[in-house]
Amino acid sequence: MPSPARVEAGSELPTRSRIVTAEDVKAYADAGGDANPLHQDEAVARAAGFPGIVAHGMFTMGHLAACIAEWAGGPERVRRLTSQFRAPVFMGEEIVAGGRVKSVDTERALALVECWVTVERDGRTEWPIKRGHAEVLLGE
Amino acid sequence: MNAAAAGKVYPEAPFTVDPGRVAAFRGVFSQVEGVPVTFATAAEFTVIPGIVADPEVAIDFSRVLHGAQEYEFRRPLREGETLAIRSRIESIRSLGANSFLVLVTELVEPGGEIVCTARSTLIERAAD
Repeated sequence: MPSPARVEAGSELPTRSRIVTAEDVKAYADAGGDANPLHQDEAVARAAGFPGIVAHGMFTMGHLAACIAEWAGGPERVRRLTSQFRAPVFMGEEIVAGGRVKSVDTERALALVECWVTVERDGRTEWPIKRGHAEVLLGE
Repeated sequence: MNAAAAGKVYPEAPFTVDPGRVAAFRGVFSQVEGVPVTFATAAEFTVIPGIVADPEVAIDFSRVLHGAQEYEFRRPLREGETLAIRSRIESIRSLGANSFLVLVTELVEPGGEIVCTARSTLIERAAD
C-alpha cells in the first residue's frame, strides 16, 4: 500500500494491460447496464462509421480504475477519477493503463496522479484515455 | 439536442449497490475486493436511457458517444446499501457541429449527505 514516505512526484504506477474481447465487453454491458448496440453489434458499429465493434469508454476507464486501485491498495482509496475519451478501442486490441504521480499533498495524505490508457495501432500510439486524473488516499 | 433542456432535473430514484452486480463488475476488471470506482456508472445508467429517450432533450442516440467521465467520492460505496440518485442536466453546448451534454448524478445517503458525484459528458456527433 502506498504511503507518503514512499510516493513522490514522478513516481510511476505499474502499467496494467489486457486484450479487449467481445466476450468481456458484453460482460461489461450486462454488468454496467449499457446496452448501446455500438458495443455489441457489428452492423451498427459499421453503420456508425467504425471498422467493427467499439469497446465502451467505460470499459477502458474501468480498466484504468483497476490499475489505479491496484496501486492504491484498494478502490476505496480512490477519491477522484476523471477521464477524457479520445480514441475508440476495437476488439482484439491491447489496452495499457498507466499513471504518474504529479504531486503529493502531505497535509491531506493524497497523491495526485495523472493517468492514461494507450493502444498501439498501425505502428502508432493512440490514446483512448488522455489527461486522466486521480486523487488517491495514502497510508493509514 | 435541445439546448433549452439544460438545467432539467430528473425524478429521484433509489439505487442499491447490489453485491451480485458489484461482483460481476469486479469480475470484468479482475479485481478481488471492494466496490470498483466506476461502479457508480451503474447508478448513472438507471437514468441515462431515459434521458437519451427524453423528447425534450431530443438526442439522436445513433450519434452519441461518451466524451468524458468524472467521479468524486466523499466515501466509498458500500455493498448492500441503498442510495438516492439525483440527476440533472448541467449544461448543453455546441462546438462546431457537435453537441455536448453534461449530466451530473449525485448518489445520496438517506440522511442527505452526498456520497459520490458522477459527471458524464455525452457527445452527439454531427450528422453526415
